[in-house]
Amino acid sequence: MTVSRSFHSSAVVFTVVYSVSYLIAVQNNYALFTYHPALEEFGPLVQPPRDGPAMYWYGWMATAALVAFVAAALARFMPERLARRLWSGWSWAVPIASMVVFSYMLSGFFTR
Amino acid sequence: MTTFLLIVHGLLAVALLGSITHQAISVLVPARKTADSFVGRVRAVSAPSYVSAIIVLYVTTAILGGIIYGEYRMAVRVVLEQLDLWKANGAFELKEHFVALGLGMLPAYWSFWRQPLAESETRARAVITATFAFIVWWSFLVGHILNNIRGFGS
Repeated sequence: MTVSRSFHSSAVVFTVVYSVSYLIAVQNNYALFTYHPALEEFGPLVQPPRDGPAMYWYGWMATAALVAFVAAALARFMPERLARRLWSGWSWAVPIASMVVFSYMLSGFFTR
Repeated sequence: MTTFLLIVHGLLAVALLGSITHQAISVLVPARKTADSFVGRVRAVSAPSYVSAIIVLYVTTAILGGIIYGEYRMAVRVVLEQLDLWKANGAFELKEHFVALGLGMLPAYWSFWRQPLAESETRARAVITATFAFIVWWSFLVGHILNNIRGFGS
């Protein structure tokens, strides 16, 4: 099965936008929903802890996936000329850069 | 139930580790002649044949990890904090973010590996596969170490 150029571009756009969105979502706590493990309950958007810790990780991923899905859908309409010029290396460069940023953000755990 | 899911999570992770390691090695140091040794045969595997298995294993392992994550947050992380095991705690924090980023990389990874393989994407294919291998190895080792520190049900 071959992959059309527009699908390939959408896949690259999804990965790039997801990586950036996830980083922003974590930094600013833009969680689409909150999970309360002690109560085994989900709540919409960011909620304070209730009877135990609140978990935002699932919500951050959902936020990033939503934004990336919209961006990838829009990328399907990208002109062929533009799609061909899209550097596919962004699909690894941006996630790796995000991993480096996360490592820096969490370096306090390793230096205390 | 959590212990059962943790064991399944671990077994799937082992399968994923083997698959992604085979693929990464065959992409980064491909065999240049007929394989006649163990190392040569590892390098000579058909890398594209691993793609579907890796995607299914990655998603399934991540979902199972997500299911037992709540129990980890309640029963394990608190203990790590009380014991001042900040490095272990930080390693797990990195694991959760790396795994999340890996999930977002799956569409591009899948697209790069679809047939026929584009010659122009050789480098991107190699780097994204190596990145996945790093994420899987990091996650596996951190999960293993944390389970050694405090396994579920202890």
